[in-house]
Amino acid sequence: MKVWDRFVRIAHWSLAACVLAAWITAESKLKSAEQIHEWLGYAALAVIALRFAWGWIGPRYARFGQFVAGPARTLAYAKALLRGAESRHVGHNPLGGWMIIALLATAALASLTGWLSITDRFWGVEWVQDAHEALGNAIIALAILHVAGVVYTSWRQRENLAAAMVSGVKRPPEPGDVA
Amino acid sequence: MNTGLLRGLCAVAALTLVASGAKATGFATCDSGPHEGWQPQEKLSAMLKEKGWQVRRIKEDGGCYEVYAVDDKGQRMEVYFHPRTLAPVPKGAKDHKG
Repeated sequence: MKVWDRFVRIAHWSLAACVLAAWITAESKLKSAEQIHEWLGYAALAVIALRFAWGWIGPRYARFGQFVAGPARTLAYAKALLRGAESRHVGHNPLGGWMIIALLATAALASLTGWLSITDRFWGVEWVQDAHEALGNAIIALAILHVAGVVYTSWRQRENLAAAMVSGVKRPPEPGDVA
Repeated sequence: MNTGLLRGLCAVAALTLVASGAKATGFATCDSGPHEGWQPQEKLSAMLKEKGWQVRRIKEDGGCYEVYAVDDKGQRMEVYFHPRTLAPVPKGAKDHKG
């Protein structure tokens, strides 16, 4: 069944590309790389803003309301995961949902602090530079955790979740699954 | 085994944060020797202020002084200086002698 709509998939892969490319161009000595790094930040901000809007107006599985779980459900899922008894979610599971929020928020803050750091007002301001660097490192750490979560869940459910983010298609829910 | 996996993930995340910590950016490096022979940052700062620059930040990077400033024309500047001579170091210079 179709789960991830076209916009969600394009937003996902373009943000992933922006983050990866921004990380690669972050410490380069070339002037051109510096400019590319800046434009990647603006592009990331645009993607994040659109994805945020889509989280309210998009189709069912794109909506934050569908996949952002409260503390009780998130904790219950985490405990089930540790027991190896977690249920399959057709959309994002509670931990996956929170990872999306963390990734979007961190990427947005990394982009914003990067932007601030090249304004006349905040040029050379230490806390802005430090915050930008820390947020840049944080998003790479989160991305690694995200990929690990995807690999683990794919293995547990015998379903390639990365491929599903390309095709948009997932196995329909079976009894016991959370649709 | 599931706990082991989660522990592994946390370790990977922590290592990434540590490994990506402070290091030289490599925009320029200076052959500047021990700190004793260095001129004080205040002197460089005063020198630039005299030129009409607004100095925002001076830090060490690759053995050079890295200066963030706004010049007299209002341009944002990121310039390297040799800590012994306070001469400007071109970006991309390796082991600049000053």
